[in-house]
Amino acid sequence: MATAEVSNTKTLKVKRFKPSEDPKSTFLTEEKGLWAWLTTVDHKKIGLMYLGSVTFFFLLGGILALLLRTELLTPAKTFIEADTYNQFFTLHGAIMVFFVLVPSIPAALGNFVLPMQLGAKDVAFPRLNLASFYIYVIGAIFTFIALANNGLDTGWTFYTPYSTDSSSSVIWVTLGVFILGFSSILTGTNFITTIHKMRAPGITWGKLPLNIWALYATSIIQVLATPVLAITLLLLTMERFLGIGIFDPAMGGDPVLFQHFFWFYSHPAVYIMIVPGFGIISEVITTFSKKHIFGYWAIALSSLAIAFIGFLVWGHHMFTSGQSAVATTVFSFLTFLVGIPTGIKILNWVATLYKGSIEMKTPMLYVFIFLFLFSIGGFTGIMLGSLAADIHLHDTYYVVAHFHYVMMGGTLIALLAGLHYWWPKMTGKMYNEFQAKIGAALIFIGFNMTFLPQFIMGSQGMPRRYYNYIDQFTIFHQTSTIGSYILGVGFLLIAFYLLRSLFSGEKAGSNPWGSRGLEWQATSPPDLHNFDHTPVIINGPYDYHKPMEEFQLGLADVHHNGHEPSHAAKAAAEEVTN
Amino acid sequence: MSGNSHENHHHVSTAGQLWAVGTALLILTIITVVLAKFVTIPAPFDIITAISIAVVKAGLVAAFFMNLYWDTKFNAMLLLMAVAFFMLMVLITLLDTLYRVDVVPSF
Amino acid sequence: MANHSTSHPTHVQHHFVDADQQFDSAKMGMWVFLVNEILFFGGLFCAYIVYRSWYPELFTEAALELNTFWGAVNTVVLIGSSLTVAMAIRSVQKDQIKGLKINLLITIALAIVFMVIKGFEYSHKFHLGIFPGEFYTFEGLEHAKAPIFFSIYYMLTGVHALHVLIGIGLIYWIYRRAVRGDFSSEYYTPVEITGLYWHLVDLIWIFLFPLLYLIE
Ligand code: HEM
Ligand SMILES: [Cu+2]
Repeated sequence: MATAEVSNTKTLKVKRFKPSEDPKSTFLTEEKGLWAWLTTVDHKKIGLMYLGSVTFFFLLGGILALLLRTELLTPAKTFIEADTYNQFFTLHGAIMVFFVLVPSIPAALGNFVLPMQLGAKDVAFPRLNLASFYIYVIGAIFTFIALANNGLDTGWTFYTPYSTDSSSSVIWVTLGVFILGFSSILTGTNFITTIHKMRAPGITWGKLPLNIWALYATSIIQVLATPVLAITLLLLTMERFLGIGIFDPAMGGDPVLFQHFFWFYSHPAVYIMIVPGFGIISEVITTFSKKHIFGYWAIALSSLAIAFIGFLVWGHHMFTSGQSAVATTVFSFLTFLVGIPTGIKILNWVATLYKGSIEMKTPMLYVFIFLFLFSIGGFTGIMLGSLAADIHLHDTYYVVAHFHYVMMGGTLIALLAGLHYWWPKMTGKMYNEFQAKIGAALIFIGFNMTFLPQFIMGSQGMPRRYYNYIDQFTIFHQTSTIGSYILGVGFLLIAFYLLRSLFSGEKAGSNPWGSRGLEWQATSPPDLHNFDHTPVIINGPYDYHKPMEEFQLGLADVHHNGHEPSHAAKAAAEEVTN
Repeated sequence: MSGNSHENHHHVSTAGQLWAVGTALLILTIITVVLAKFVTIPAPFDIITAISIAVVKAGLVAAFFMNLYWDTKFNAMLLLMAVAFFMLMVLITLLDTLYRVDVVPSF
Repeated sequence: MANHSTSHPTHVQHHFVDADQQFDSAKMGMWVFLVNEILFFGGLFCAYIVYRSWYPELFTEAALELNTFWGAVNTVVLIGSSLTVAMAIRSVQKDQIKGLKINLLITIALAIVFMVIKGFEYSHKFHLGIFPGEFYTFEGLEHAKAPIFFSIYYMLTGVHALHVLIGIGLIYWIYRRAVRGDFSSEYYTPVEITGLYWHLVDLIWIFLFPLLYLIE
């Protein structure tokens, strides 16, 4: 037994709890059965349900993408009609943004690890958490109704006035996304409260894992930006129901105002997608460098800075919309500012690698892929932010390539890093490392093959969202299409070995990567209540220079987390505290 | 971890306090109506007074009905943050709408 | 943290250490939610401000069609209901469950009065042909953009009225729980956070009233 100084007012008696390597009861073995899953309030199960849904939508969006790319194999019609093409790219974009990327890291992985990294039993509002999952499902159903009824062909941005006139089922999708927004808001609300109120003894703000800081920043953006999307979509819906005319030029309204409202959400939304990815990168990079993170506070606070500056730059999507010259100039200037906190992060990660003992496991491989791809995405973003260049590049494939480099090369790769990193924790199984590396290689090659040519086409003037193109672009389009097939194969391989690991994977120990993070101090898979003690934290999550004895600590006197300690134990605990 | 001591949050207001706040709100409402309807204030200042009175009323509700005055500072900060981001949205949007060549661009 | 819990009463959910943590969390969660509400309305206010800055004369003319008297009455009604909600919380804090129930009922009654007045205002306008947007047929206003003013008016007051309706539902639910004996000075979290919601509805109206009714 040892005593730990967790704050200047209290002294707690702690002892070491080594997680069992072969847990008898885990959250997967308790509360089994379909009904138990569907009604669970356990954050881990809800996280996994989100993961399942996100994967499903990713598959759907992915198939649409492959169909789109196949159509673009030849300059004229290849196999689908132009209208179908419009519907496919719209659905692809809407699904990937609203149903995959926005919820992916926070709601799926975040739900699973956030309470564990805080040493809490659950999020602050478990039932709300389940509710937000079902709200997500309802939003999805609305979108399927739209699919069954005319589809949608406005592009994921729903720009007026086309979206007020289009004969496709705009209302169903806007309502679906409106509902989905609430799911996102509730998750954000839940996370902010959890981070403030549910930290285990000893977790000060300076000892929060960077993943938590990132989720915190993300949640703030979700809460501040999503309601504006909600009201925008409500107005758009009313525009179609009642012709209210606020955004409709035919009635004297202003379509550019719609763009303001839309991007007031959607630019911050790109940070809703990428910032949680930053969190994962910070976790993985330290674990596999076995080294303290370089510039803890710089990384933590730059997440908040990005969240804030991200609210000031939305007009860079509207440089050619007829927006005033004053606004355009200010937006361009502010856009450059976002590069600063983003650059700070990249430099700190690279500095973390310096002199670390780097272990090239799959998650780490994805971190390197991330650093490479995201840097390209970020730099091209800065280029688009400069006014003169954007007049030329706006609405071309250059923009398409930019946002795929950040959204797929950034967020999705980070998601894969996190998935491979926490997979053993979530399932208790190891995947095949060799196959995983092949998968990563396929993704990397396929990705660059798909999207690098798009930068070139774009800068030569190939507009986005076009069904046909002139012969000059054929070679780029074809390379891109072949690249996308390679990507597809990569994802299939990943799905294959991950699923296989569930059945025949090796058992993962409680801490296969030798991490110092709190979530690795629970069993794999974790207990229904995460820990069966109240964890106490003395050292930070990246203190690789401290001996393992100083980790895995918990309150010595209260035996069973989740179950009532006996009164005698309580009294004893109280004696110790004073 | 919440950092605030026990007395901070279960503040019980006296009935007198609550009634006082309610009465103040009522009086302010009357003042604002009277100023708008029966007193002519020159152009920008009429709206400025009306909004200022509304802000005072809102402040009273937030501080004493919603208990922010006795609550943790953090909750008050949340409210201020919401207002600040709302202002940002409006101000930056105005940067466009006030300085356009054509008010509503024709398409 | 663990040091001021002496018992773990039934209303404390298992993942909280004690009742205080649960109360504080719920309240903070509600505040975060209110932030989101403010920005939700914020979008509409932003549309109002933009259009008003473009067509100031439209707003002063169109406001004449709104009835200041009833607007003011509704303001007073909502302020009164905020007061009764605050009184309800005070009652439960002092274990006066009867006072709690009475105050909740008065609040509901005031909210209904608000809705009824709103309903009269709306039907009066519909009668004149003042519908939102496309359906606008009123001829008493010269301005070409008059339909847009009323679209904004209907959206702002409509979304607000929707919040009032939801509030009525919530307060009724709290009332039922009070009748069932769920609350005491030890545990009244739902009363507190529903109260916060209701005050926000009042706050929004405090701004809507001068912006829509008092601008000629
Ligand atoms: C260094 C940071 C970034 C900068 C400076 C930046 C800048 C820009 C600019 C100026 C555009 C508009 C181009 C145009 O339409 O002409 C744009 C488009 C876009 N960016 Fe970024 N970006 C950055 C990071 C990101 C990130 C992290 C994401 C997502 C995770 C992202 C997603 C997008 C998307 C989706 C679009 C296109 C939206 C559309 O029109 O459909 N960007 N970016
Ligand atoms: Cu942007």
